[in-house]
Amino acid sequence: MIIDREVPGSLQFQPTKVELDEEVAAAKATLLHDIKRSVYLYRCDLGGCNGCEIEIFSTITSVFDAERFGIKNTASPRHADIMIYTGAVTRSTRLPGLRAYAGAPDPKLVVAYGACGCSGGIFHDNYCVWGGADKIIPVDVYIPGCPPSPAQTIYGLAMALGLLEQKLHAETTVEADDERAPLRFETIPYKVRVEIEREARRLAGYRYGCDLANEFLTTLMLADVDVHGTMTQFIASQDDPRRVEIYRRLYDVLMSHARSDG
Amino acid sequence: MLKLFKEIRKTGCATVGYPFEPLAQADGVRGKPEHTADACIACAACAVACPPNAIQMIPDIEEGTVTWSINYGRCIFCGRCEEVCPTRAIVLTKAFELAVMSKADLETKSVYRLQACSVCGEYFASRKQIELAARILGQDSDQTEVLQAIDGLGICPTCKRTRDGVAASNHAKLTGGVR
Repeated sequence: MIIDREVPGSLQFQPTKVELDEEVAAAKATLLHDIKRSVYLYRCDLGGCNGCEIEIFSTITSVFDAERFGIKNTASPRHADIMIYTGAVTRSTRLPGLRAYAGAPDPKLVVAYGACGCSGGIFHDNYCVWGGADKIIPVDVYIPGCPPSPAQTIYGLAMALGLLEQKLHAETTVEADDERAPLRFETIPYKVRVEIEREARRLAGYRYGCDLANEFLTTLMLADVDVHGTMTQFIASQDDPRRVEIYRRLYDVLMSHARSDG
Repeated sequence: MLKLFKEIRKTGCATVGYPFEPLAQADGVRGKPEHTADACIACAACAVACPPNAIQMIPDIEEGTVTWSINYGRCIFCGRCEEVCPTRAIVLTKAFELAVMSKADLETKSVYRLQACSVCGEYFASRKQIELAARILGQDSDQTEVLQAIDGLGICPTCKRTRDGVAASNHAKLTGGVR
């Protein structure tokens, strides 16, 4: 099954982007790398859900304390060095966004914040959404996340100011000639494995069920001779009564198969 | 004044050391989805599950390849891809340092080869997916049904339907029609 989902870009309005003139671009490059003072940031919401705002404000609280690096939040774009744009840029917030951008003195850094700010996020193909701050203004740093955690925000801002290095890079891998996907839990019969995984997911939900089934099957793989003894010991060694119950039921599934197979 | 200092000392410092030291993260933190290209069978389960379409599968019929790609700038870190992955090729890690200067760096791609149908020659699935299915079937038993199923793996669903239809009508002719 192969799917091809093109974003209906042709159906969306494509706004004209603000372009930087050369002088401002040069000044900005200097600011980006050699800033020697505190920076003030202004947060501009272009149709976000407020999740990003909550994370920005938890970044400046005492636990993460962005003011250690001289990063201060300001209430007016007139004082700002860094503009943080959150939200997917809805039709009605484009103009306020541009006004805030024009209001901030040059040179300024623009940060696209959150999945929506970077690319429109989950709203990327919505009819009234322009899909990210970089559609209307030149963006310097993209901080992905939904919402980005305070640590991620600090990392992004530190990167914007040239304090930390970028870690993520574009990457393309090509399938090798005789590449084979490893078969998981090879010695356990496929039907037994699937039934154990299914039961674990039914009991503990998809994500934790998956983790529990993995742990159970890994222990089962290692038990070579005395399966009953090993599994009983494994179940008894669990602290959490919920885990004990789930593992016990998984063991029942295993035993019912063992009985039917002889 | 001394009382205040005492109080401060007792309270300690609440600020975390990050970025000067590694950040302590709780269990179950959903960070960067890490894709192991070797383990992936390009079955597109993650692309179907992905709510914001951050994971996409774009086939190239001329080249006979399909390109798996993830855009971290669109990912909402929900973990659905991890849930549905049959080989655990994509797993959410705790890595969170994803900020980039250029948008192109947000994308990671893997190219996989497609399997052509042995009857009509059209591409219908990824090569690795068919190969894994053959191994899983072969692991089970050596019954004739299983061997037949392994035999039919390289045939696309349309050709398989035609083949089954022809077989059914031949069988009907031999046994005097469908009652």
